[in-house]
Amino acid sequence: MQSAGYARKVKKAVQMLLFKRHRKPGVKGWELKRSLGRDYMKIIKMLNSRLDDLGLRVKIVYEGPEPQKSPKEGEIERARFFVTLRNPSASVDTLSGWRVDEIAALTAAIAYITSKQGKAPRKDVEKLLREKFPKWRVEMSLNQYIKKGYMNEDDNRTLYIGWRSRAEIDQKMLLNLLLREDIN
Amino acid sequence: MPSKKTMGREYLLRILSFCLSVSQKGVDPFEVEVQKLLESIRKYLPEWKLPEDFNLDAETLNRISLIVELQGKWLKHLSSSLYIDPLLIELKLKILEPEALVQIFSKCWRPIVEMEQLVPKRVKEAIDYWNLLPPIEERWPELEVRNIDLNHTTMESLRELGIISDISFEDVLKKTWKELKKASNKRGVPFWNFINTASYSETVRRAYLASFLVTYGYAKLEINPLEEEIILIPLKEQRNLNSNGQGVSIPLSIDRETWERMNKE
Repeated sequence: MQSAGYARKVKKAVQMLLFKRHRKPGVKGWELKRSLGRDYMKIIKMLNSRLDDLGLRVKIVYEGPEPQKSPKEGEIERARFFVTLRNPSASVDTLSGWRVDEIAALTAAIAYITSKQGKAPRKDVEKLLREKFPKWRVEMSLNQYIKKGYMNEDDNRTLYIGWRSRAEIDQKMLLNLLLREDIN
Repeated sequence: MPSKKTMGREYLLRILSFCLSVSQKGVDPFEVEVQKLLESIRKYLPEWKLPEDFNLDAETLNRISLIVELQGKWLKHLSSSLYIDPLLIELKLKILEPEALVQIFSKCWRPIVEMEQLVPKRVKEAIDYWNLLPPIEERWPELEVRNIDLNHTTMESLRELGIISDISFEDVLKKTWKELKKASNKRGVPFWNFINTASYSETVRRAYLASFLVTYGYAKLEINPLEEEIILIPLKEQRNLNSNGQGVSIPLSIDRETWERMNKE
């Protein structure tokens, strides 16, 4: 009886996480708690193991930096839950819909901002990208990344790592791979 | 000679602005010599008599304390595994080819899976919306246009109104071509230098004429993508437009803001 209840809740959780309910994808912890009940994290863990077979995972993005120890209840409730690929596809073919120069500029911008502790003046990022791309493309691309949530911009024209980058990009791996890359 | 009090106020304001820029721009907070600043602030303390001055003093102290907090965070980040020298990363980014960057990205990118759905409730809402929406004629009534009887005019009036001109467009174009030849050296002349004048409308007019000079084969454009320089080169003779030749359209925006910035520079 109890397992049937859990199975029903897992189905509900997968619908909440996969289908877009707001402009941003994903669901807040408190929304899951309201729909699935107090033991919503248990349901998420069950769902995560089911998603594993499909090569997917539930990714939790906290409001601030990722908690070092086990997160507090309030932190989980304010966090946003997404479903992402479990492992990077490591294939350029899956980057459909993106131009090569757009991805290259995004990679450079994210790596640069990450190396500067997650924030950098927009003009510095623009200066870096303009070494390889024309001015009009740089401006257009940065605006596009901000719109998609890869980065945020404040009133002082400072760029920050956005919610989508934190959900989708393994920033530590990105920096390590960059350093390891051979330069011919 | 400003009094010590005035100098002190200016000094505190400078510190405030410096601390603010350090915390906003993400530069190394250890660039701020906290101890030295505190000693300087203390030096001015006996001068303060007004509440505003004490407020300014307290605000400066507060800003400096935020820098100390930032220094703590900075040290934590340096000791974390995520820290890699930003200069090294910048150097790598400048050297690597876009294709290499894409390969790296694909190894650390786990895209979000998201789907869109349409549920019966939303369909019902959409139908209700459609049914309640008044016709467009009601929402956007057409502009009322007065009927005016047709009348005759003379060529003189049209000339006065600037609608027609005695000088043909080709003459104007040839005059501009001559000007271009005169303004050019062996390499031609930078496009923006040629069109820019003290008046915005004249600048737009010259840009318009320059575009026709290129289209009609009186001149050519050379673009240096590295320096983002556009050179307008006059041709000695008008080049016949060959229908087989593939032309390339280059949109160049010339809004008032750009023009004003150009003239300031």
